[in-house]
Amino acid sequence: MKIVVAYKWAANPQDAEVGPDGTVDWNRAKGAVSEYDPVAFELARALADTCGGEVVGVTVGAAAIDTPLARKAALSRGLDSLVLVADDALRGADGTRIAAVLAGAVRAIGDVDVILAGESSVDVGDRQVAMTLAAQLGWAGLNSVRAVSVAGGSLVVEREVTGGVETVVADGPVVLAATADAALPRVPGMKEILGAAKKPTQVLDLAALDVPATVDTIAPVSTARPDTGNRQGVMLDAADLPAAAAQLTAALRQSGVL
Amino acid sequence: MNVSSQAWVVVADDANIGGLLEAARPLGTSLVAVVAGRREVADAVATAGVDRVVWLGEPADGVPTEAYGPAVGRVVATAAPRVVVGPATDAGRVLLGAVAAATGAVVLAGVSELSLDGEQIVVERAVSGGIAVRRDRVVAGTAVVVVAPGGAVAGAAPVAVEEVDPGPLLALRITDRRVTPRAGVDLGSAKTVVGVGRGLKAREDLALIEDLAAAAGGELACSRPLAEGVDWVGKERYLGISGQTITPDLYVAIGISGQIQHMVGVRQAKTIVAVNSDPHAPVFRECDYGIVGDLYTVVPLLADAFRAARS
Repeated sequence: MKIVVAYKWAANPQDAEVGPDGTVDWNRAKGAVSEYDPVAFELARALADTCGGEVVGVTVGAAAIDTPLARKAALSRGLDSLVLVADDALRGADGTRIAAVLAGAVRAIGDVDVILAGESSVDVGDRQVAMTLAAQLGWAGLNSVRAVSVAGGSLVVEREVTGGVETVVADGPVVLAATADAALPRVPGMKEILGAAKKPTQVLDLAALDVPATVDTIAPVSTARPDTGNRQGVMLDAADLPAAAAQLTAALRQSGVL
Repeated sequence: MNVSSQAWVVVADDANIGGLLEAARPLGTSLVAVVAGRREVADAVATAGVDRVVWLGEPADGVPTEAYGPAVGRVVATAAPRVVVGPATDAGRVLLGAVAAATGAVVLAGVSELSLDGEQIVVERAVSGGIAVRRDRVVAGTAVVVVAPGGAVAGAAPVAVEEVDPGPLLALRITDRRVTPRAGVDLGSAKTVVGVGRGLKAREDLALIEDLAAAAGGELACSRPLAEGVDWVGKERYLGISGQTITPDLYVAIGISGQIQHMVGVRQAKTIVAVNSDPHAPVFRECDYGIVGDLYTVVPLLADAFRAARS
């Protein structure tokens, strides 16, 4: 079985600076395996260990995603090999384009049975790319996945739904977006980090890939800081808490929200 | 690709589509719904005030909505509407991914405003995990937009349900469903929500917060750490960029620091109250009323005061 982990090398927005005009400066924010992706590595490794198979990590992005540190960070998380598309033509690419290039990479790898991904990326947070990738490949996609196994040659997926858990059997290749707590990701130790250096990395040429067609849909008009609603910012006196509670209650009653 | 002036909504086996219609209706000369799912859902959508309902046929037992992705993608791409709006749900994102694949367009999420400027759609949305807001103009192809689905809509004279052959479905089948004991909750329509975060020290202390929520006549909610990892509160009550977005009259944040990923989900509350022991917690920069104090002291006092005021 060939298992792909589609992950993102991205920085946390908490470390980015937002200017008064809403422009985002990522210069001081460091890249990492995106916060919700380690769970996908863990599920993939566990699936390969129980069912037999290999785990290939795939990520795409601007040239800066390919550094020795970034390779090691991914390869130390249970991968057998790594495939990268690192090209500045992908700087600022939208989610459908990123998914399309991932699809191109998965086609180049060939014979992939299942792709695992995190529920969303830390730097965008739209929860969409994995499901767009599934559709571009013509595969099924499932969200909120908490477990995956193999039975009778099919993938057996447990996913969270409103009010419960469903078991879904997939009789073809599938893209699975895992919940953030589907597994407890191991922290790579010295052995894994040293082992990472011996694992193969393949860098694919973007121009040589069979990438599904995309449209540059949007053009920017303006940016802004988020509207935080001109909040009143009244700090109540904590030295006399009963009085503060009474004052707050009166104010909320008066404005009709309590 | 030339687009038509129609607006489409994608329905994922759930007729609660008030939010989709509200977003889509002003943007097209006619409103068309494509329904993946049961006939009863298509029938309900037919009374929701749309001009057409395209239904992909009755799913066989155990066939999930996600299996209809290619059919939805094909039907929408053929119509090439100006805009397609779908629900921000697990199945909704799969169906919109199919629309994105079929049209080549990006899926726009975190949308706060949609408008029509001449023939072009203008979208305002949160970007970079909610730290900034961007306005974009849709200059080519279809605007594919994901929004909160909203509530039930009915009352319009029914339009015909047009059944369309979905073609081959994806090979997925549901073989088992287990109900978890937690009751469902509708935070989206709650007037008052009390959220609790990492400031809570132990699971059994949740009773304190539940009591405050009851005293305020509201629903209990939480920030991410309490729904994932420790699992003290059900995920359906988790507020934030990857959880729920709420629009209550009153939001009370207890022991929540106010990281951007949480605040994005609660910013549309009319009034925000924050209680936190750290005077420098970011939540105090975005609240109407703040109390710096230990939640274990403050919450019972607030509960008593709320209860007295509302009785």
